[in-house]
Amino acid sequence: MNTQIDSNYTPDALIVGGGIAGLQSALDLADQGLQVLVVERQSSIGGHMIALSKVYPTLDCASCITTPKMSAAAHHPNIQILTNTEVEAIESRDGAHQVRLLQKPTYVNFDKCIGCRLCEYACDTEYPDPFEEGLGAVRAIAVPFTNAIPQKAVLDAAHCGTCGTCARVCPTGAIEFDQQPRHLTIRTDAVIVASGFQLNAVTVKPQFNAHRSRNIIAPITLERLLAPHGPYGRVLRPSDGKMPSSIAFVQCAGSRDESIGVPYCSRVCCMYSIKQAMLLSGALPLADITIYYMDIRAFGKGYEQFYQNAKAMGINFVRGKVARIHPVDGGDLAVQVESTENAETPMEPRRHDLVVLAQGMIPGWMPADSTPVACASDGFVATPALTAPTATTAPGIFVAGTAAGPKDIVDTIAEAGSAAMQASQYLYQKRSALVAV
Amino acid sequence: MSYQNDHQGQHEDEPVELECGEPGRDEEAYVRKQIELARRQADASPSAAIAAQQHQEDSPSLRIGVYICRCGGNISDVVDVERVAETVRLIPGVATAKVHTFVCSDPGQHTISDDILYENLDRVVVASCTPFLHEQTFRGAVARGGMNPYLYEHVNIREQVSWAHRHDPAGATSKAIRMISAAIGKLRHVAPLDQIKLPNHRRALVIGGGIAGLKAASDLAGRGIKVLLVEIADKLGGHLNQWGRVYPSERAAEELVADLVNAVGRNPNIEVLLSSKVKTVSGFIGNFKVAVESQSGANGATQKLNAVVGAIIMATGFRPYIPQDGEFLYRTEPTVLTLPEFVQLMRSISHDAKRLVYKEKNVRNIAFLHCVGSRQLDGVHEPSTDGRLNSYCSRTCCTTILQQALAVRTRFPQIGVFDFNQDIRTYGRGEEDYYAQASRAGVVFFRYNGEEPPRVEITPAGRAKDGALSITVKDALTWGQELTVGVDMLVLGTGMIPGQIQDLIEQMKLAIGEDGFLQEVHPKLRPVEVAVNGVLLAGTAQGPMNIQETLAAAGAAAVKAASMFATESVELNPYVAAVDLTRCTGEAQCVTQCDYEGALQIVQMEVDGEWVERAQVNAGLCAGCGACVAVCPHRAIDLNGWRIDQFDAMVDGIAADIPGRECGSELVSIH
Repeated sequence: MNTQIDSNYTPDALIVGGGIAGLQSALDLADQGLQVLVVERQSSIGGHMIALSKVYPTLDCASCITTPKMSAAAHHPNIQILTNTEVEAIESRDGAHQVRLLQKPTYVNFDKCIGCRLCEYACDTEYPDPFEEGLGAVRAIAVPFTNAIPQKAVLDAAHCGTCGTCARVCPTGAIEFDQQPRHLTIRTDAVIVASGFQLNAVTVKPQFNAHRSRNIIAPITLERLLAPHGPYGRVLRPSDGKMPSSIAFVQCAGSRDESIGVPYCSRVCCMYSIKQAMLLSGALPLADITIYYMDIRAFGKGYEQFYQNAKAMGINFVRGKVARIHPVDGGDLAVQVESTENAETPMEPRRHDLVVLAQGMIPGWMPADSTPVACASDGFVATPALTAPTATTAPGIFVAGTAAGPKDIVDTIAEAGSAAMQASQYLYQKRSALVAV
Repeated sequence: MSYQNDHQGQHEDEPVELECGEPGRDEEAYVRKQIELARRQADASPSAAIAAQQHQEDSPSLRIGVYICRCGGNISDVVDVERVAETVRLIPGVATAKVHTFVCSDPGQHTISDDILYENLDRVVVASCTPFLHEQTFRGAVARGGMNPYLYEHVNIREQVSWAHRHDPAGATSKAIRMISAAIGKLRHVAPLDQIKLPNHRRALVIGGGIAGLKAASDLAGRGIKVLLVEIADKLGGHLNQWGRVYPSERAAEELVADLVNAVGRNPNIEVLLSSKVKTVSGFIGNFKVAVESQSGANGATQKLNAVVGAIIMATGFRPYIPQDGEFLYRTEPTVLTLPEFVQLMRSISHDAKRLVYKEKNVRNIAFLHCVGSRQLDGVHEPSTDGRLNSYCSRTCCTTILQQALAVRTRFPQIGVFDFNQDIRTYGRGEEDYYAQASRAGVVFFRYNGEEPPRVEITPAGRAKDGALSITVKDALTWGQELTVGVDMLVLGTGMIPGQIQDLIEQMKLAIGEDGFLQEVHPKLRPVEVAVNGVLLAGTAQGPMNIQETLAAAGAAAVKAASMFATESVELNPYVAAVDLTRCTGEAQCVTQCDYEGALQIVQMEVDGEWVERAQVNAGLCAGCGACVAVCPHRAIDLNGWRIDQFDAMVDGIAADIPGRECGSELVSIH
């Protein structure tokens, strides 16, 4: 736990979330000479992006783009970072804000921890690694992942066997089993909500039977399988470790569907599925890859060309809505498609040995419950101003990235810059008004 | 192992025979060889002599750290990185050689800065991805360790090695070693450099007074930064001045423009020039000199204004695609309209109108055709007059079509609406709702494959019951049946094409992408920056965007300018030409060759008490291209950081015999 930051620290701006949006906003404010505090609820900054394998349309490795931004933020003299910390509430008065934070115990004193990982090596309790989507194992006390920031061990109390080995091997005496949650209130003039998204469950549509087969996976699981530094170093299907030979991508499996309460488009699934299909055809040159879709939404710069390349590479694009998925023998899946392309066999089930469901993006945090920020009917932060897409309903509180609706990384980064611009303007005007008085 | 000396020095010594199998001896021999090479080099050329002397002076303290990146597996799946480290460690001067999964990550960078502090390194090499991505990252890490960041060399063993030679791991490993050896060779000849500091004029030029330009200008002015806003038309607002309601708010476009224009008008930090054009741009970040020509008054007199600005924001926007004559019968049939023309038509009709009348005819049914001038395919579509195909998606047409289709069905329920699309791309927030509502409102959808766009024909006489235009489509929604629909009016869903700013592109040396729009350096790392420092992109000059995205992009450009103006001076890379005044004779061959106006000039100066003419470099304008170096007959000009002797050392580094534990031919084979 980082205890160096206390209520006497009054940053110019506080940023909720240390994903790509929050980091970009933080850097764009700090580069203007403003003091910024980034609050992240996970054990490392980097958000969803740091777990991706490669990113479209350039196919840069995601780490190569994310780690430098993480590192730049961590080293910036004007940026402070609090991980394992949640925003409990924001109270705003006269355009200034009191942000109530809850620092969760990590059972490691961050001032003493040097990231040597001796505790991690000595710990004999393992559990499925959340960073690897449960495919690998992680010790109960561990640095969250290779390129995590901060490089500090964090103890997972739910899995700790309380044997005390970590405390015995720690060369700096950093382990503190008696750590308690710490409440902290930070006063600041501007807040940027960059709380991101989460994905709805792969089981959200019961007719897809994701609860009945381990070979129906989430796209983020496939990201980890495709990552060169992922759990297996290659693509193996979860149930039996077989190399898949026929992979299906089911689009809109958690979006554009009023029956599950997500009527909107999640905006990124078409493109990441095409990207994953391309990477898969590289990793498994003999595999058949099929994308079942309603509309291919390749709208961004260079995206349509990326889609056309995928078609040219031999990836099958089948226009049709998947109705049902059933587990069949051998761990395989029967995918029933209402295809619009073949009049004779519109509902014939097609056999695949791995199915990827394109989940929908839903809000990562509901600030309306505890802050003056209102949300729209889709659950994401409302941005009613006609000419300021990053202004929320609360003066001095701005929003960036997927907290204001699904968005890809490129659009998120642009919006994060815009939110930083709005926040710095707000600060400038507030302070020039003070000087004038 | 036999060592064949291929160094073309002035002395040719006998080849040195080395025995294999005793690593200790290998190493010793290698050191001897390096010293010998340095000696011969010293004899070879005077500049090399100076360099070699420097090298000898530096040598006792030379402690090079080499960091080899696995890049997850991007590099290490092909290159045997452990072996690279092992081999590189044997090169004299290398104090440490380490392998890391991601050197660019925080722990990786820490390793470098810690080693500089605790291992007393004085030179650093990182072998990883392209310098384009991370050279700056590692310079930062080196600087944090307290070392001059220009005593650092970047080696690209991903794009140039592991990705290029993925089927030849042994060759790739050997090439990686040699490239690192070259960098080490260069590092023996480098001296600390300092960034060039130049004054920063805290004022931005925004070119274009559409919503992107208005937003960028008001953002900067609201932050206390002065702005010069130049608009070619006699009115601010751009394309939105001719628009109806905007999605998804359904507010009037005028309202949005008025909001932004008022914000600009209110702010004393903004100077607006209407009916004006940026004629010339010269200079560099922090110090651009621009000349603007304005048409003033009714008599058309032109006024010229010169200004100095620190940053330039390109908010030059897009042009609407105009179909070619006859494309889907456009300009052949008066009832074929583009989407903007249809929006105008809808705006012109009074609110209580019960019928849609166009060219004195009652419109009974309308077809909307998506992707006209967008998503064009080679072999299917006719290229434009400039030979280009618009292969990109214009991003905004789908939702605009559905918005208009829905408006038609709502205002004139008797009009039948048919929509011909490849995909419906209502991706944005609130946009899917237009699709759902349009479906519910009875819009009939047909789907065609991009390879087979619908055919539009004049309905043969006698069959024109449903309308004068017949649209025939192979409809994918009904398993590819060929269907023909007759309509009174056809609206072509035309998209965006790049703005006409060829003169600025040439003057400012801006890059354009395959799509013809202005090209950013990197979509995620530097999304609003271009290769020319201090020039930023805002909005649709960069590619199709909707209004919300344009406003966000304008803010992103503004924040970069605001960050740039946060410091008193701008700092530039020191890789610029430098003149050796003792050798320069003022012949000006370098000036003739220089592509960058003002970067090199001949000036009168006092050298050794005499007034002479000599070449002088303007560090702000010099791009470090090296053209001057190549033409100087006296070797009087060289590039800081990329000197000729440094290149020589790199070549020697590549060609040098590399010590190693194996003697197989693979080590010397370079693919």
